[in-house]
Amino acid sequence: MGYGRSDSYRVATTQDKDDRSPKKKKGAKDMDDLKKEVPITEHKMSIEEVCRKYQTDIVQGLTNAKAAEYLIRDGPNALTPPPTTPEWVKFCRQLFGGFSVLLWTGAILCFLAYAIQAATEDDPAGDNVSIVLTAVVVITGCFSYFQEAKSSKIMESFKNMVPQQALVIREGEKVQINAEEVVGGDLVEVKGGDRIPADIRVVSAHGCKVDNSSLTGESEPQSRSPDCTHDNPLETRNIAFFSTNCVEGTARGIVICTGDNTVMGRIATLTSGLETGKTPIAKEIEHFIHIITGVAVFLGLTFFILAIVLGYSWLEAVIFLIGIIVANVPEGLLATVTVCLTLTAKRMAKKNCLVKNLEAVETLGSTSTICSDKTGTLTQNRMTVAHMWFDNQIHEADTTEDQSGASFDKSSITWISLARVAALCNRAQFKAGQDQLPILKRDVAGDASESALLKCIELSCGSVRAMRDRNKKVAEIPFNSTNKYQLSVHETEDLNDNRYLLVMKGAPERVLECCSTILVQGKEQPLDEELKEAFQNAYMELGGLGERVLGFCHVLLPEDQYPKGFAFDTDDVNFQTKDLCFVGLMSMIDPPRAAVPDAVGKCRSAGIKVIMVTGDHPITAKAIAKGVGIISEGNETVEDIAARLNIPVSQVNPRDAKACVCHGTDLKDLSQDQMDDILRNHTEIVFARTSPQQKLIIVEGCQRLGAIVAVTGDGVNDSPALKKADIGVAMGISGSDVSKQAADMILLDDNFASIVTGVEEGRLIFDNLKKSIAYTLTSNIPEITPFLLFIIVNIPLPLGTITILCIDLGTDMVPAISLAYEAAESDIMKRQPRNPFRDKLVNERLISIAYGQIVIVCLNPHALGGFFAYFVILAENGFLPTTLVGIRLNWDDRSCNDLEDTYGQQWTYEQRKIVEFTCHTAFFVSIVVVQWADVIICKTRRNSVFQQGMRNKILIFGLFEETALAAFLSYCPGMDVALRMYPLKPSWWFCAFPYSFLIFVYDEVRKLLIRRNPGGWVERETYY
Amino acid sequence: MASTEDKAAKQESATGWKDSFYNPRTGEVLGRTGSSWALILLFYLVFYCFLAGMFALTMWVLLLTLDDYVPKYRDRVPYPGLVIRPNSLDLSFNKSDPLKYVQYVKHLESFLQRYNDSQQDKNDDCPPGEYFLQDDTEDMSKKACLFKRGFLSLCSGLSDTNFGYSEGKPCVLLKMNRIIGLKPRGDPYINCTVKRDTPIQMQYFPSEGRIDKKYFPYYGKKAHESYVQPLVAVELLLTKDDYNKELPVECRVEGSDLRNNDERDKFLGRVTFRVTVVE
Repeated sequence: MGYGRSDSYRVATTQDKDDRSPKKKKGAKDMDDLKKEVPITEHKMSIEEVCRKYQTDIVQGLTNAKAAEYLIRDGPNALTPPPTTPEWVKFCRQLFGGFSVLLWTGAILCFLAYAIQAATEDDPAGDNVSIVLTAVVVITGCFSYFQEAKSSKIMESFKNMVPQQALVIREGEKVQINAEEVVGGDLVEVKGGDRIPADIRVVSAHGCKVDNSSLTGESEPQSRSPDCTHDNPLETRNIAFFSTNCVEGTARGIVICTGDNTVMGRIATLTSGLETGKTPIAKEIEHFIHIITGVAVFLGLTFFILAIVLGYSWLEAVIFLIGIIVANVPEGLLATVTVCLTLTAKRMAKKNCLVKNLEAVETLGSTSTICSDKTGTLTQNRMTVAHMWFDNQIHEADTTEDQSGASFDKSSITWISLARVAALCNRAQFKAGQDQLPILKRDVAGDASESALLKCIELSCGSVRAMRDRNKKVAEIPFNSTNKYQLSVHETEDLNDNRYLLVMKGAPERVLECCSTILVQGKEQPLDEELKEAFQNAYMELGGLGERVLGFCHVLLPEDQYPKGFAFDTDDVNFQTKDLCFVGLMSMIDPPRAAVPDAVGKCRSAGIKVIMVTGDHPITAKAIAKGVGIISEGNETVEDIAARLNIPVSQVNPRDAKACVCHGTDLKDLSQDQMDDILRNHTEIVFARTSPQQKLIIVEGCQRLGAIVAVTGDGVNDSPALKKADIGVAMGISGSDVSKQAADMILLDDNFASIVTGVEEGRLIFDNLKKSIAYTLTSNIPEITPFLLFIIVNIPLPLGTITILCIDLGTDMVPAISLAYEAAESDIMKRQPRNPFRDKLVNERLISIAYGQIVIVCLNPHALGGFFAYFVILAENGFLPTTLVGIRLNWDDRSCNDLEDTYGQQWTYEQRKIVEFTCHTAFFVSIVVVQWADVIICKTRRNSVFQQGMRNKILIFGLFEETALAAFLSYCPGMDVALRMYPLKPSWWFCAFPYSFLIFVYDEVRKLLIRRNPGGWVERETYY
Repeated sequence: MASTEDKAAKQESATGWKDSFYNPRTGEVLGRTGSSWALILLFYLVFYCFLAGMFALTMWVLLLTLDDYVPKYRDRVPYPGLVIRPNSLDLSFNKSDPLKYVQYVKHLESFLQRYNDSQQDKNDDCPPGEYFLQDDTEDMSKKACLFKRGFLSLCSGLSDTNFGYSEGKPCVLLKMNRIIGLKPRGDPYINCTVKRDTPIQMQYFPSEGRIDKKYFPYYGKKAHESYVQPLVAVELLLTKDDYNKELPVECRVEGSDLRNNDERDKFLGRVTFRVTVVE
């Protein structure tokens, strides 16, 4: 079964394995790769130079011939998908991985033995063990393959199958072509709503804004223009990047990079080239397989040699070997694990955690550090008005998603004025046809802060559209970076009032400069120093919260100077823009999601460290971190302490500060040790202004300290970190395709709180898998003992190969799976994450409990129950135990057809074989009976069954199913031929009952002792 | 850097490996100290003793429920199997070389020891043609009907100590398996055929290969100590033409309700063997 992560990345990493460079050097290599990302120089060239370089024309575009030539030279403009493993390789991996090799060996040996028998004897024994074994391997292989395929199919649904279109100008004509056919030098045109088809050097733009969030993490749309504004191509304004979105406006540009050469393409390539470790559960299972295989081979060979020494023919010895291997290997276990993981994955999918890779289910459970992105994961990814300052007081607005938060006093006249300014001096508007939607869910055309204002006003004052209709706009000066304000002039609502209303909003200090009065409690007061200071304090306070603050002011223009019909000229301002009346401040933030603080708290109590890693500014990041509890109340950063004690930052002992806000630029200069130091000594860390490679460094740092790291992210810039993390969590709604591709899990609702439910499920499944394995192993080990007695004491074989398979793959499966539905014994979110080095899925105690019982051969309740049934059947049919010892040679001799039993009756070969197979059936049924008690025992590891209860319906179903299947195998006509299982007399079902009861009592006592003496001897020796 | 790390790791794992057997610092053997070992062994000792006691108890209860004379269930042996003596399904010998057939002769001779007159004279001569029922007797031990070697006449080994092997006319003894309480209906007799076109002459002892009902039912080893099974001898009267050939012979119990055509069990009421006589 697949222990790796999605196979597609395996192939890509093979080159890395060739050069065995030390880890650090490889890290450097990755960094080099990332640095190589920016060989773009076109932004510094003039448009003519660019045209020359690509032999294109600024008006006519490329010629069709040239375009075709370039297309052949550079290949299509698409990202090379990560190399995928062919399906048949995946299938073979399932078919020959894990225990399969052992079983294949068994099947082949069995077939050889049969072939030799067939060649030497006329009438070979109709032995179908090899066929059954082959069938078992193939069926379990197919099963696992389809399980894997199912989960990978989920991913395919994410692939955008609609081909992207691009508008290019070739030979002077605008043509719509498939985005894949775009080539370097093409002149393309993009407009709001389009996806940028390639990396483009902008040559002309009209109000063009692009959303670079998937590339850089900045949530604000950025404007694009033909001028080079920065040396760094990622920061400059005149380059638009492949697969980002144009939000508004139009632009025309020359394609400079296509496909894998684009910035996005390079990150994607880097991501798929990153090596990822095995998941913790894969390591656990591998560890387990090694143990079992080792024991199986060791025991098999020992008894092979023993059999030869005891004088058996080598053919018989080979059959013993196979028997022991088959008995030792828990054939059904890996399928059980797969099913358990699938069930959990399904349960998680219902809770909006879509698991791409089955094993990631458990990884999440063992996570000890979560590096979370801020925007969209912790926050709502929606600017919302958080605070207002008017009447010389800060008011808090409701930022919750469902408007359940506190509200403020809306009766103040100042507020009405403020709301009017915010509504009128605002270009954002709701998109049509959304009247039935809640206001917060509606789509808005316009920039983020204006939408925030729009929604805020719409919520508190009703329809903004109506307000705007009542106050017709007569003139407007849009926002620009030199003015830093936006201004508009409106008619008043009062039809009798012919004055015009001038409203203005903008950067608070700019707006204040324009004002001479201020509105307090609805009355205009002169703006004196006291009020200015109050304004300054409010501005600082809101800014300190990481919020974007806007100032608002208005004035009613005097009618004598501006009579009705006055022609306002916005280019050459012919009206008053001074001596306005300041109304208030409004500040906006992308507020945390409602469920996040609670989820962060849960993580903390579950011993998981939550680290915020964001591209945003430190102040905003810190504010949100405090808001959601990543920096918990009362914890201070070094800077906070310095500010409180009024001493320089350098004098503060870093050990005193539990929290830490780390700036990306500082991170660049840190050595590995310093990095470790930060991660180790601070419990609450926020990384701000981080770049993709820094995210990678942070993840590696955490892993170096032994943490199992989960990383959340949505942008392409996050994908290397997502890949490197033990479990990468991508965002389903806002996430880019590349990040989803790199992640192991996808949060369908982008909500951090979903991760916590994921962690809970992951921990639960780890506990429950332990139970499943304990259950399976305890029935598996007694399967060996019949062989041992058969060889050593020479009694007829008590349990055949086929019946062993019936147990492993038949009756044991459903109960083992049902344990996956078991509820947690205690609050699993209140304990520390498991230590991957100490806390194993299969620890030596489990192994020693299971195998310790074969030391003194068959003394274990399962085997004893089975042996008892075996002796009962033989004795009641005439063969008393005393007769049985040493009878094996005659018993298995085909030519001996008058074997005498204890009572003097004589049996033909076939007659006694029927009794023997009836014994196998009874042994099998006895194990089922003891397993009834076993599954109830395995329900809990510490609690009593009476505390835990029997609420697991699937388990009860499993009990019935197991019994029904056993009865079916025993009583169904035709089974005597097909599987050589025979009907049992009702009384034989009860043989194992005392043992079933015994094992139950024993384990209840054991658990009682564990509960009474926590950490005592019993717990140390027997708690698994 | 990596290589030194590797080395350190290797050393550590090497000492760790040795330590897992015996750690001189803590005195741990296989990861446990002496007292820890004692405690765990004591635990297992008690645990296993308890289990063994439990098993012994249930076995004792089982043995209490069993009858000494008759097994609880006899439904797995409803019909008797048919077996031949000498105990070989492939009789092959050179009639003029005593060394080749002496094993068969010896085998037959030792098998017939129980049918000697000295032994059989103790048994009753019961009335033929009816079951020798003794259910009503108080005594648990039952009497047996006598079957003398002499009944087998030419194949008794009394007149011809070589059982016809030296003449190329070998005797084969057939017996039905003992089954407690078996009472065949009808008149069972043994009939042998050669699976080829031309039949060969055969002679049955007692005449017509009859098995008398008086030998049934069987009351079990403990009650029926001196019981002997009735035998049927078949002498294959081979002629010169039959030598040097492998003759497949099939014998069946006929004339009764005993099954002789079970698909799976080739020895239920029938037996097939091969005879090859070399001149």
